[in-house]
Amino acid sequence: MPDPSLQRDAALFAPIAQTGRGFYFTLVVLGIAILWGAVAYWTQFEYGLGVTGLQQPVSWGFYVTNFVFFIGISHAGTLISAILRLSKAEWRRPITRMAEVITVMVLFIGAGQILVDLGRPDRMMNIILYGRYQSPLLWDATSISAYLFASTIYLYLPLIPDIAILRDHLGKHRFLYAVLAMGWTGTPRQQKILNRAIAILAIMVIPIAVSVHTVVSFVFSMTIQPAWHSSIFGPYFVAGAIFSGIAALIVAMAVIRRIHRLQAYLKPIHFRYLGYLLLVMTLLWFYLTFAEYLTGYYGNGPEEMKVFWSKFTGPFWPTFWGMVALNFVIPMALLVRLQHHAVGKTVAASACIVAGMWLERFNIIVPTLSNPRLPFPETMYWPTWVEWGETAGSFGLFILFYVLFVKFFPIISIWEIREGREVGLKEVEERLLTYLPDGTEPEPARRHTKVPT
Amino acid sequence: MALWGMVIDLDRCTGCQACVMACKAENNVPAVGAKEATRGRIISWMQVLTEESEERTRFLPRPCLQCDDPPCIKVCPVYATYRNPEGIVAQIYARCIGCRFCMAACPYTAKYFNWLRYQREAPGQNPDVSVRPKGVVEKCTFCHHRLQKARERARAERRDLAPGEYVPACAETCPSRAIAFGDLSDHGSEVARLARSPRAFRLGEELGTKPKVIYLSETEAHRRA
Amino acid sequence: MNGRPSPFDRAVRACQWAIAGLTLVFITAIVLWIVHLIRTAWRLGDVASASIGISLVAIPLFLTLLGVGLSVFWGLLRGGDRR
Repeated sequence: MPDPSLQRDAALFAPIAQTGRGFYFTLVVLGIAILWGAVAYWTQFEYGLGVTGLQQPVSWGFYVTNFVFFIGISHAGTLISAILRLSKAEWRRPITRMAEVITVMVLFIGAGQILVDLGRPDRMMNIILYGRYQSPLLWDATSISAYLFASTIYLYLPLIPDIAILRDHLGKHRFLYAVLAMGWTGTPRQQKILNRAIAILAIMVIPIAVSVHTVVSFVFSMTIQPAWHSSIFGPYFVAGAIFSGIAALIVAMAVIRRIHRLQAYLKPIHFRYLGYLLLVMTLLWFYLTFAEYLTGYYGNGPEEMKVFWSKFTGPFWPTFWGMVALNFVIPMALLVRLQHHAVGKTVAASACIVAGMWLERFNIIVPTLSNPRLPFPETMYWPTWVEWGETAGSFGLFILFYVLFVKFFPIISIWEIREGREVGLKEVEERLLTYLPDGTEPEPARRHTKVPT
Repeated sequence: MALWGMVIDLDRCTGCQACVMACKAENNVPAVGAKEATRGRIISWMQVLTEESEERTRFLPRPCLQCDDPPCIKVCPVYATYRNPEGIVAQIYARCIGCRFCMAACPYTAKYFNWLRYQREAPGQNPDVSVRPKGVVEKCTFCHHRLQKARERARAERRDLAPGEYVPACAETCPSRAIAFGDLSDHGSEVARLARSPRAFRLGEELGTKPKVIYLSETEAHRRA
Repeated sequence: MNGRPSPFDRAVRACQWAIAGLTLVFITAIVLWIVHLIRTAWRLGDVASASIGISLVAIPLFLTLLGVGLSVFWGLLRGGDRR
């Protein structure tokens, strides 16, 4: 690479240009998880859902939990990246791409959970042929396809200039990059078109993302079941989704930074700022959870209370209190002070939150189904190896998609980093001046002051 | 148009389970076997629940309550479950994709799932009722096939369907005559009369599902009064 | 590069058109599907208002997304300088 400006960002090409032993090792590990999932699904396809732990009355278990969880994680991306872009947060530059990739990859996995959950996957086409919009499942199908389409374009458009760089300089996979670069040469006209499209999409993608997890929550809240039939569910699910999304993003950032040695790009300050965002979401999640449970408790409806106590002191106490610890207590302790060890603390908090939010989804779905209104004999849902395998396979597949993306495309936007250096610095200074009273002149010593944008 | 309904007198029910057995035989409800039963997969369209309170124990036979405003049909993504014009909530086994949304939405847990292939077509089954494949939801249909048969017979004899000609297996079998069945829209019918009794109540009335299975109980009536 | 484009360039161009075409087909299929659902609901006497309500939001949304995608495709195609 003779271009000196490219030389400077050589670390961003490294994961694509060279393939180490670690890559193949990761593939093998993921392959084992996916194989386990495939065997599990094949068994289920052959014999029916009876090979899982599902039963009467717990007719939904791990699969639906995974569905809500994965779709929640998808809010990492596009939503955060869109908000940061629109609010002109300069520190977004190395993060947005990673977030957007999570969204696109995880949406496939999330939507796939519903297909895995079907008792008759061979009749999948009935949804298309005879679907009816009165069912919230069809709302999900529509909303998720819109989100998938929008976030795929939203990932792809900012990728075009980078693909063009790869096409011109990498020398590998030239045909692929030439096709995907869409004839990008970086003319001012092309830049104008691209920037405008990105801006439009950033605005459009936010309401779509909000709609996605709202209608996912409607699957539960539209029924009249205790602890589901609640008007808070839409916002509660959206907040939880963004919460788990940010956590997943931080974990992904930390892993990529470590493996591909991108410490120069993903600095503690990025983790700290995202950590503050995560702290806000922790509090918001706690507030909504508190409001939801207090309303049920104070109302004291007999059916509602059966579910309530089964979570607080009954058979679901480990998952419930585990959720409270992982989603609130531990993250609060870790995130309140981020001046030192910001990376370690935010990553630890995020790992807890990802697990905690999975438990949260589980706690919403299974206890309600385990406590039917009529006096049925008590049963307990225990997942079998099939559900564990499918879950492992789903995570494996998601990570595999992510790893392959990193192998083929720059995971940190090269042109946006460059734009930050060349245009962003000056722009921020000018923008800062417009915030200040008129006539303020930049101090001569400005080179040494930090610009916290 | 008739509006089929059932009245179950809890003061008469002895909990003998004859209705459960009659239903299983009539509707080819599979016996899932001991192993599946311990895993909570028993299919029983009519199920006798035991309600235990401090004062007493009461039996509660629960078929599908055939809600007039059923929460299950709203959520079905593929029209596999619907309310027919005579008020019977039907399930189309050939259409069902097995998403189990209707099971999650039913406040009475009246829907059952074929977790495995529990049976194949075999001699000794009721030929009027289709055997369900794996992966679909099934439920009580008020022995709908009996209505079809009775109606065809009446048509062949060029007369109207007489009251009492169409009765589900559970009502027919009940030794203590706790189950009455008939047309709720016919003001003079036995079920319509019993449904107006001061002892009458409906399960989960406050949910607004308007069940067409009505229960009679002296104590319940006192409790509610 | 003057004159006739190389086979490589031609293949690249063809693939790009194919991607744009697939996008168009995908969105058209979704819109047709939504219309089909309204028709089915209408014919079966199901709740047609739900399908109509959703389609009022969903169809323009999908068309706008398609518009953004295709306008970028077309704009980049014409806005690039010939190298």
